[in-house]
Order: sequence, then C-alpha cells, then structure tokens
Amino acid sequence: MRTLVGHRFPGGTYRIERWENFLLSEATGIDPLPDRLAHPAHLFHVAINGVGTSIGELFQLADAGPDPLVSIDYYDWRIHQPLLEGETYSLSGGIADFTRSRRDGSPTRDSFSYAIDLDDASGARVAEVAFRWHFWRVTRARETA
Amino acid sequence: MKVAVGDVIPPFRMERVTPERMKTVAAIFRDPTPLHWDREATRAIGFDGRLLNQSPINLGYVINMLMQWAGPRCVRRIRAEFPQPVLDGDSVCAGGRVVSLSGEGHETLAECEVWLDSQGGTRNVAARAWVAVPREP
Repeated sequence: MRTLVGHRFPGGTYRIERWENFLLSEATGIDPLPDRLAHPAHLFHVAINGVGTSIGELFQLADAGPDPLVSIDYYDWRIHQPLLEGETYSLSGGIADFTRSRRDGSPTRDSFSYAIDLDDASGARVAEVAFRWHFWRVTRARETA
Repeated sequence: MKVAVGDVIPPFRMERVTPERMKTVAAIFRDPTPLHWDREATRAIGFDGRLLNQSPINLGYVINMLMQWAGPRCVRRIRAEFPQPVLDGDSVCAGGRVVSLSGEGHETLAECEVWLDSQGGTRNVAARAWVAVPREP
C-alpha cells in the first residue's frame, strides 16, 4: 500500500454538461446557478473521473475488496475560479499520502490522501481538490483474529 | 455587503433527503458504492436499510447556504469532515457563522465555521469555509 504514494493518475479532461449540472444542482436542493456557473459540488466527481480514474478504481488500488467499508476523513477544496458548464478542464494528480493505524480492539485503518488539480484551457489553475478516505480492513481483521 | 465577525449565516434547509436523488447522484458520480442505492447493503452494516447520502451532496447543502448568503461565486475554499452520515428521510439544516475577516481591495475574505445538522442535533458535516464577500463602497 505504501508504495502507492506518488502514484500518478493518467490525467485527462472533463467538460461539465448542462444536464449533469442541472441534475446535480437539483440533487442539492437548488435550481441551476446563473451564467453557466456549475455547482461547486461537481469538484468531487469531475476531479476523480476527469483525472482518468474512478471511484471503483480507487477502491481497487486500495485493495478494498468487493464489499469495502470506506469512510471519509476530509475534503479540502480550493476554488480559484468558478466552475462553468461547457468548459473543458484539464486534470492531473495522484496519491499523496498513506497511513496505516490500528487501535486496540479496532480494525486496521488504511488512509489514502489524494490530490488533484484542475486547470482551464489557458492553463490557469481553477481548483485544487484534496481528499482522504479511510479503508477499514474489517474482513482482514476478523480473519486474523 | 456588510459583514462582521460573529455574524450568523442564514440557514439552508433540506426538509427531506430522498433516495431518488441519491440514485441520480450515484449515476452522475459513476459511484458503485451500494450504500447509496441498495437497502440490503446498508442493513448489513447496521443502518436498518436506510440509504446513505453522498458526502459531496451533504457538503453541497452547506455550499448552497454560503452561495445564498454571499453569491454563487463566493466560495474560495472549504475544508470539511463528515462525523455522521445523512440517511434517506433525514431533515437537514446547514448553518454557519463568521469567525474572522481579512482581505484587501474590493473583496473581504470571511472565514466561516459551517456545519450540517440533522434532526435531533446530529452533526453530519463540520467544516471551515473561506468566502469572498463584496466590500461596501
């Protein structure tokens, strides 16, 4: 697991379509924003899917198994420019950190930090997305108990 | 816009978190996690068959509160933790207050303590946000 630190995702591009901005905004309980503005909640999936990976692949990289128990430590989103519908963003990033911890009586917890940057077509930085997930090794702990 | 340390941000409420919205979001996110759409999966881990709302949507409620307060371009940074999940059927309310002010020029940067609570006072999101608010002429 520790060798995954420094792993770089393939990189790629993402364009937020009108339909997904409409549906995601509605899912948060508001109408779409004016002037082609995309809801900031897009930063989660635009970062992951746009950088050339997926939630499923992140679980596989963490060896999470078919029935993973995953929790979130934190999200840290820095937004330099508003996201826009119809703009194509370039994404780059990778796995920034890994820690393994275990307390008495608790399962092993593997924590991965991810860092992904979004740039616009001119190369200007639009956002920096960092997040950390905990993978609880429940099955493994029971097997070795 | 006049802003001061200690100001309370008007709340944003989602009266009922629905499984239909979770399924839409799972498709948009391409999220294979069954906890957002399969009641058997959540029953197996002790949530009594209630689906778990996606955390970016929980954060989205908080962001909605900030945008309705200071405009749709206002959020500069948000750092959030998620102590408890939001479940389908929950009623949630985002709240916040200004804890410090900084900045120069035409904008003030307001550092805000923000949160999302569900009925009964369960804290679902605990976050710190940095929000640009237009300075009064």
